[in-house]
This record gives sequence, structure tokens and C-alpha cells, in this order.
Amino acid sequence: MPRPWWTAFWASLGYGILLLGALVAAIAYYPQFAENIGKFKSLAPLAVLKNLVGELEEGGLWAYVAGQQFFKGCNTLGTAAAVLFAAGAVAGEANRGTMEIWLARPISRTRLLWTRYAAGALALVAPVFWTTWTIPLQMRIFDVPGELGYGLLTLAALHQSALLLAIYSVTFACSCNGRHPLRIAFVVLFLTTLQFALYLVEQLTHYSLFRLTDVQHFMAIAKHGLDPALVLPLVGVSAVSLAIGWWLLRRRLPL
Amino acid sequence: MGGGGQGASDGVAIEARGLARSFGERQALLPLDLDVRYGEITGLVGPNGSGKTTLQRLLVGLLPPSAGRARIGGVELVGEGVAVRRVASYAPGEIGHYGELDLEAHLRFLVAGRESRCLGRALEIVGRLGLPRGVRVRGFSHGMKRQMLFAAAMAPDVAVRILDEPTEGLDPSKRAEVLAILEEDLASAKGPRAILLSSHHLGEIDRIAARLVFLERGRLLADERAADLARRARRLLRIRFDEQAPRERLLAAIDRLGASSLGWQGSTVAIELACDDPRPFLAGLVSQKDLPPPEEIAYGRLSLAELYRDLYGVEGL
Repeated sequence: MPRPWWTAFWASLGYGILLLGALVAAIAYYPQFAENIGKFKSLAPLAVLKNLVGELEEGGLWAYVAGQQFFKGCNTLGTAAAVLFAAGAVAGEANRGTMEIWLARPISRTRLLWTRYAAGALALVAPVFWTTWTIPLQMRIFDVPGELGYGLLTLAALHQSALLLAIYSVTFACSCNGRHPLRIAFVVLFLTTLQFALYLVEQLTHYSLFRLTDVQHFMAIAKHGLDPALVLPLVGVSAVSLAIGWWLLRRRLPL
Repeated sequence: MGGGGQGASDGVAIEARGLARSFGERQALLPLDLDVRYGEITGLVGPNGSGKTTLQRLLVGLLPPSAGRARIGGVELVGEGVAVRRVASYAPGEIGHYGELDLEAHLRFLVAGRESRCLGRALEIVGRLGLPRGVRVRGFSHGMKRQMLFAAAMAPDVAVRILDEPTEGLDPSKRAEVLAILEEDLASAKGPRAILLSSHHLGEIDRIAARLVFLERGRLLADERAADLARRARRLLRIRFDEQAPRERLLAAIDRLGASSLGWQGSTVAIELACDDPRPFLAGLVSQKDLPPPEEIAYGRLSLAELYRDLYGVEGL
């Protein structure tokens, strides 16, 4: 990755378009969904899913939008993007044999690390915000009744970004110590998929990381704003992971 | 020019004291003292695994030393060595590259963090070496990639250049061009400049280096001026005797005649004479009738590889 900002821009654009596509389809479908929500509830195969549809029914438009954009879209595509953007950040250099020329310039490792981290992090969270900010426009285009303010949408995007950044940062720290980006990506994606699967098991759902970004939490944000007790630990995980990554990169041999 | 600070006044470009590096149990570089002076090319030679690359990585801060200290271009090597890399450029021996970039973009990456005119200078050098500018680096041969790294290391206006086998994989004409660029670079430097160059091509090191530093198994075996080495080479004599020749008596005779034996390789003994003229020694040896007659006598300028083999008993160069 010789041009991290350029690479990040294109990766972010691609992932943002995917996220936007899923969101457009979801919002265009909302009127039909609102009409048939009772049938969906009866068809839901798992108790957890029945509860989820129930939450959407009670929460109305905001619950549906939050469920589609954040719980579904960002938690799947966003998690995949977080892992893929971070896994190769440093391990990719070792893997392709460019570690030495990357480190041999008169640029501090702190700056190298920060550039890589910031480019990937921005590429990851920017689409969460800009796709979310298109929701009011899409609602007008698809004649969706109701109104969602930019303030609420921004707070929700912030909350979601905190989780994605935590996943990104942990993967980034692994990359600072690894040589095989694909291996890192597979392991972290397996663990995050497992976490998502846990969410769907009624007895284990509270052990799932994605419980932090389910519909209930976005409904709470609409009522009470951001919950620092949830967001700050996630920011803390990111900060600690970044610090570990920095420590690992400073010790890293140019091989 | 960047650098040339404290070191420029005492003429020392690279000063290492007790510099050592180990990887776990393996000692890659034993504690080493080294002074590389401005205004000359210093050749770093030794067989594979002798610690040449480790030493060069240590000197530019890519590897932290296990012990010791170093000052490069007047800058103390501390931490990750960013300050050192501002006064010293480095061409790695490992050919890492970003295949998706074309030559100009790749050079821009390699000289990032340097002065702005560095790219133009690097492009001049690759032009002189005949590398195609608009072609992606993934289509380059091994030698072309090596030349690209060389150009990037030669472009900055720095006090010290550390080059790890810059001619490896190049054809003879390109090797000659690289050596010419090195000599011109030293001659045309506006400020103090030193070049530390490692190579497996001992002939070329012999040609351009004013000083030779010889490493073997992480140990500094010799550090001498090329002229002194050449003088020693003029005093080297190799004599082959019959397999059954009495070695003890031969060695005693050599000692009596004022020369010193450097050891046997097979049935050939290497001898370092006390003076440049071999005739008195040979006359003295032949006059000793109790000794077997020599089967072959080799005298004259030996190759660097032969010299190191004879002087220090190191094979594999």
C-alpha cells in the first residue's frame, strides 16, 4: 500500500456504494414492509428474530431505518470493511516483502503507523456517515412518510462508528505484529461472524458484541442521546489497540 | 547538504563502538568498532551470513542494536534512527517493490521525506541507467529493480550512503555504470560524503574502495586500507609441494627465512614475505637441499577472494 490515502479513497468509495445500495433498497421497500409487518413477525423462524421484528413494529420508521442501515448494513459490510482495511495495513508490507523499503525512509514509524491507521479509519467511517445522511433525501424520493433529523442520524452513525473502529483497531494491532494479512482477516472475520451468530441464539445473545448496535440501542439514542457508558469503552478499545499497534511496529524488524 | 555535522570536523562519517546484534541465541554481529571516513568508498565484504546486511541495517536504525552505539554523519543513532536516515541514504539488499507503481511513482515513494529535488535527481540516474520511466515496476527484471533502489539511494544530498549490494544481479556494463556513478558522486559532492558499499563482486570492490572492512560470521576480521592490502598482496607467495612433503620442516624453514606462513590449503602453503622482492626468500628456500623441491610457485597480484582466503582462511567468497 504505497499510497494509503489513495487506496483508502477507492476502497471507501466501493464499500460506501455497497452500503448505499443496501440502504436504498431498504428504504424503497419500507412502505411494503410497514404494511406487512404482522406477517413477517409470524414468519420469523427464531425467537430472537421475532423479537427483532417486534421491536421494528413498535419503533416504527426509526427502528426500521436503524435496523437496516446500522444493525444489518454496517454490522455486516462495515465489519468486513474494517477487517479488510486493517488486516493488510502493516502485515501486507511484510507479506509482499516491502517492509524494509517502507521503513527505510526518513519517516518515523509513528507517522507511518498514524497515516495508515487514519487513512483506513476514515475510509471505514466516512461511508457510515455519508450514506446515513442520505436517508432524508431517500425518504423524500421514495415517498416514505415520517421525518428523521440529521442530529439523530449523526449520533447513530457515531455510535455505530465506535464499534466498527474498535473492530478495525484490534485487527490493525494484529496486523502490526503479523506477516499474513489473509490469515488475520480470516481469523477476525470468523470471530466476528461467530459474534453475529451468537446474537441470534436466545440464550447467548447478550454475549454478542453486536448487541451494542442492535435496534434497542438506537431506539435509546433517539430518546436519550449517545450513551457514554457504551461509546467510551469502545473508543478505549480503539485507543488501547492503536497503542499496542504502535508499540509492536516500533519493535518490528524490517523483514 | 544534510548532515556532516560533528563528524565532518574529525573526518569520521560512521563511528561504531561495540555495536552488536543478536537474534535470540544467534549472534548476528559480535561487538564491533568501526570508523568510516569521509571522502572515500569503504567496501564491506564477507561471505553470505557474515553480518554485512545486519551491520548496514543497524547503521540506518532499521534494527535496534543489542549493544553498543553508533554515530552516522555526526548524528547519534538513537531509537528508530529517523535522524540518522535524514543524513544517510540506504539501498536495501532485499528487493521489495510495489509492482503496481510505475518507475516515477515508485521513486517518489522511495524518496518521500527527502528534499524536493531528490526525485529529479533520481530520475536523472535511472535515465542514465536506461530504465523505462512509464513502465510498471512489476515488469522489471531483478537487476532493474536493484537499479531503481540504487537511484533512490543516490539521489538525496546526504553525508553518508549505505548501499547493500547495489550491483548484485546486474550485467557487467550496468555494474560498470553503477560504479562510475559512485565514483562521480564522491568526486562531485559539495560537502563531506562517505559511501559504505557491500558487494559480492570482490573485483569491483577492489577497484573502487579505498578501504576494506571484512566480516566473517558476525566478526570484524579485518579493516584495512586497500593500498595496505595491495601491499600485503604483493608479498604473498603460494608454493605447492608434494603431498608427502614434511610440513613441519617446511614451516620451520619459512620461519628461518624471515617470512610467515599463513597456513596450508591442501598441499599449497601461503606465505607472507617480509619484503616486496620474493627472490631472496625463494633463493634461500631452494638452497636448503634437505627440503623437497616446490612443484608450483604463484606470485603476483592475487584476487581479493584469494587474498582473504590466504590471509584469513575464509572460504566462500
